Amino acid sequence: MPHEADPAEAIEQLYAQGVTDGLPVVPPTRERVRVFVEASGRPADELIARLPPNFGRATIEKIAINAVLAGCRPEYMPVVIAGVEAICEEAFDLHGVAATTHFASPLAIINGPIRKELEINSGANVFGQGWRANATIGRALRLIMVNLGGARPGVISMSTLGHPGRYTYCIGENEEESPWEPLHVERGFAPGESTIAVFAGEAPHGVYDHRSRGAPQILASIAASLAVISNYRSTGWGDTLIVLSPEHARTIAGDGWDKPRIRQWLWERLQKPVRELVPDAECGEGLPEKVLARYADPAREETLIPKFRAPENLIVVVAGGTAGRFSAVIPGWTFPGGSQLVIRKIQR
Amino acid sequence: MVVEYLDPTDAVIVTRTMAVRPASLEGKVVALLDISKPQGNHFLDRVEELLRERARPKAILRRTKPTFAKPAPEDLRAELLAEADLVIEALAD
Repeated sequence: MPHEADPAEAIEQLYAQGVTDGLPVVPPTRERVRVFVEASGRPADELIARLPPNFGRATIEKIAINAVLAGCRPEYMPVVIAGVEAICEEAFDLHGVAATTHFASPLAIINGPIRKELEINSGANVFGQGWRANATIGRALRLIMVNLGGARPGVISMSTLGHPGRYTYCIGENEEESPWEPLHVERGFAPGESTIAVFAGEAPHGVYDHRSRGAPQILASIAASLAVISNYRSTGWGDTLIVLSPEHARTIAGDGWDKPRIRQWLWERLQKPVRELVPDAECGEGLPEKVLARYADPAREETLIPKFRAPENLIVVVAGGTAGRFSAVIPGWTFPGGSQLVIRKIQR
Repeated sequence: MVVEYLDPTDAVIVTRTMAVRPASLEGKVVALLDISKPQGNHFLDRVEELLRERARPKAILRRTKPTFAKPAPEDLRAELLAEADLVIEALAD
């Protein structure tokens, strides 16, 4: 692939080839890629995965080329490699996530000591700009989906609206400010291990609550936002992320609540009777015909239908700055058989 | 001056070609594949009616994917390949 040496011209050429996300990229010279492969400590031709839906081969070298394009530093390679392994696990359902008309894009959640080593932001402006690791690790995963998985927007990736996280979507969990076990420890990893979790998420939806001073009060605010995700009448939803700010987390934990109790409380609260879930003139969404067929008179039926399949689908992490009583909910891509959060150890 | 950049895509990936389209559906076994989206069955019911009315296929098979969120399972694809001359897949919603 010969190119002009002038960096500005190289950026134009790479954009014209369709291998970027629209923003300028770092030209992947042989020498830059060599440094990235070396930093991975693995052979260039080692195959990590074949990326759906086109099943392009993600070798260490191909991952390195895309990490260079994204603007990563060489030491981010183990995180990007583990991220590729994670999105390619069957439970993540990359085929669907890459091609869907829905909004979803992989959100990478980093846990463990690597956050400090690579300066991955888990504090103020955690979903925002300003940290190279967050900006480029998420971007590398997206470029890999496009260049190796074939998820070109409007061609294979048919998302109607997309969302800004399709440029990059990567956060650290603020373990230091969390009153509870972090995500990776909940999922069986040691606190000293580093992990990357991937979650097919919409954009974060903010929950503002500055005046509540008790766990049930704050959780009632969060539940009200969770109640309307996807559609206010959708039910049977799967993995959904709740990002608690440190201030909210501290108040909730101060009342003696742990994560299982939060999940259970939210899950129980987020149920509606069948009669409120019948498609009608107000809204055509609601329970599918086969479910409605179980009831003699759905319009009067009081049986409760949960918004979420199980309490465990409500995944709680703590992130963000220490000032501000804002949290966020992030809907997933969780149709029956759809994407689940997948977590992988970062091998170093 | 010209420098070399490495290719971020998997350039040797095999491109897939479209199957040959039959000139007529007469005497063919047509599979109607419902991907399990809401109302897909209604759409395919009507397609089946129209096919029987206008195209005189040898047979119409109705098959359903377990979920629209994932590709059809391997055994379903093998079954369609073995039993049908062509497949019409329905989205709906």
